Amino acid sequence: MPIKFSDVFYVYSPKTPFQFEALRGVNIDIKDHSFTAIVGHTGSGKSTLIQHINALLLPTSGTIQVDDMTITAKEKVKHIKKFRKHAGLVFQFPEYQLFEESVEKDVAFGPRNFGDDEKTALDKAHKALREVGIDDDLFKRSPFELSGGQRRRVAIAGIIAMEPKVLVLDEPTAGLDPRGAQEMMDLFDKIHQGGTTVVLVTHDMNIVLRYASDVIVMKDGAIVKVTDPLSLFEGDYEDYNLEIPNLYHFAKLLKNGGYQFDMRNIRTIEDMAKIIKGGYHRG
Amino acid sequence: MANIALGRYVPYNSFIHRLDPRLKLFGLIVLMVGIFIKFVNVPMNFIVYGLIFILIAMMMMVSRIKFKTLFKQLKALWIMITFLLIINTIVPNSGAIAFSIGSWNIYWNAIFQTLYIVIRLVLMIALTMVLTSTTRPLDLTYAIEWYLLPFKVIRFPTHEIAMTISIALRFIPTLLDETYRIMKAQASRGVDFVSGKLSEKVRAIVSLIVPLFISAFQRSEELANAMEARGYNPSGKRTRYRVMKWRVPDSIALIFVVGLLSGIIVLAALKVDFVAIIGNLF
Ligand SMILES: Nc1ncnc2c1ncn2[C@@H]1O[C@H](COP(=O)(O)OP(=O)(O)O)[C@@H](O)[C@H]1O
Ligand SMILES: [Mg+2]
Repeated sequence: MPIKFSDVFYVYSPKTPFQFEALRGVNIDIKDHSFTAIVGHTGSGKSTLIQHINALLLPTSGTIQVDDMTITAKEKVKHIKKFRKHAGLVFQFPEYQLFEESVEKDVAFGPRNFGDDEKTALDKAHKALREVGIDDDLFKRSPFELSGGQRRRVAIAGIIAMEPKVLVLDEPTAGLDPRGAQEMMDLFDKIHQGGTTVVLVTHDMNIVLRYASDVIVMKDGAIVKVTDPLSLFEGDYEDYNLEIPNLYHFAKLLKNGGYQFDMRNIRTIEDMAKIIKGGYHRG
Repeated sequence: MANIALGRYVPYNSFIHRLDPRLKLFGLIVLMVGIFIKFVNVPMNFIVYGLIFILIAMMMMVSRIKFKTLFKQLKALWIMITFLLIINTIVPNSGAIAFSIGSWNIYWNAIFQTLYIVIRLVLMIALTMVLTSTTRPLDLTYAIEWYLLPFKVIRFPTHEIAMTISIALRFIPTLLDETYRIMKAQASRGVDFVSGKLSEKVRAIVSLIVPLFISAFQRSEELANAMEARGYNPSGKRTRYRVMKWRVPDSIALIFVVGLLSGIIVLAALKVDFVAIIGNLF
């Protein structure tokens, strides 16, 4: 079952001088098994939006449907843990949420909270840690001895170990070096191939072009466009003050120089190279 | 969860907001002293408490503090009130008996003592709320620093103390945000901060405290480095962006609070009893 937002409003600190309407009538459908990117300027409400998916924030008005569960404003939410289990949310800079004495224990924390016994939880933890590329000999180490990049992987493993149906990521590549970011994205891509729905907040249009199946553009707490990456970058991305992906920029320069080719199937440098090599002539 | 920051500065522009922070701090102390003065008899005590409460309520209205926020802060006091009442009834007492439960006597004195403490607490909390919601924390530190200035003569590190306080105050909202953020991150991992067994609660708290401390230490180190990199010198002479200015309303308010305290002291010292006076009139 998809995730469906119907007319969702969210107000921070209502009825105080700090009152702020962060979501204004959001309607979206996030399809099952999609890789949905959410883009938009800082402060456009992306983080606020995704925190509704696992019921961390409850809408001021409107309804949210996740799987067969519904959240309605003003109605007390039952089974809140089911929401948390269904959608695993990785916050920005998740490395700051580690606290256990060993890496494996920290990753097993989530599964234990959802009722797994210690052995099952540790098994899940080990599986998740291997998936994110943490070596077995680090499992018993303190998370605070690891490097920043490793800690982030451990934190992400902590969510993956919960085996959520939906993985929600808030700017997971922020502050990583290009190679670390690439590895991180390949990991999410793999998880997505395995059947998990991925919702990704990002500022990096290269990532959007390369990985996303759907794109949601936000501005000032509202959804201004629901599309897919190719139509977005072929079309009106400039209207929303979005950057152009490097690949598209390059392609544009080529086209201006007289090259004619179809951009529709180009998502990676390799695709691009193939097409150029394939013998397109100067028009 | 979002209501942790009760009593924080609310940026309105009321008469009380505009008063000099030195005056407000002084007024707070003066009125608190007033709250602790005892009068000739029980009715008189309650009358003066009532008057002070009306005054504070007016100040709250002027500075646009909602009474709801005050009540929210008082919620936690219930446990204390019960506790005080129990202590006061256990401690041997004398005077008139209010009522008895079996052979257990509860004296009027015990009830009044408890009531006095509760009323004083409520008044003090309300007063402090007026101060903190109308004064920027930084302005408050400036005021504290100003009062500490005379101690410079005895080499008291006035400026360093003020700087420490203002940094601490500056980081309260940051730490609250951080707390909120980590709580949400752990809640995403299935932590239940509200219900759950005691052992689960302990784990929940640990999962919050450890990351919070780590990030606080990290922040303080970064701040120290940043200050040193910009050549911060604690003993250097400094100027201010916002200079405190004493204005006419401040003088009027000063006269008012001093007059009020004097009035209260006179009432207490002369053992004035309104009830008796009114009784004599008729
Ligand atoms: N706890 C909060 N209290 C009040 N306002 C907030 C809070 N959190 C976020 N906001 C405001 O809501 C808006 C949307 O924030 P956010 O969802 O974090 O945006 P994004 O993730 O797109 O940068 C911002 O203007 C932000 O200042
Ligand atoms: Mg954000």
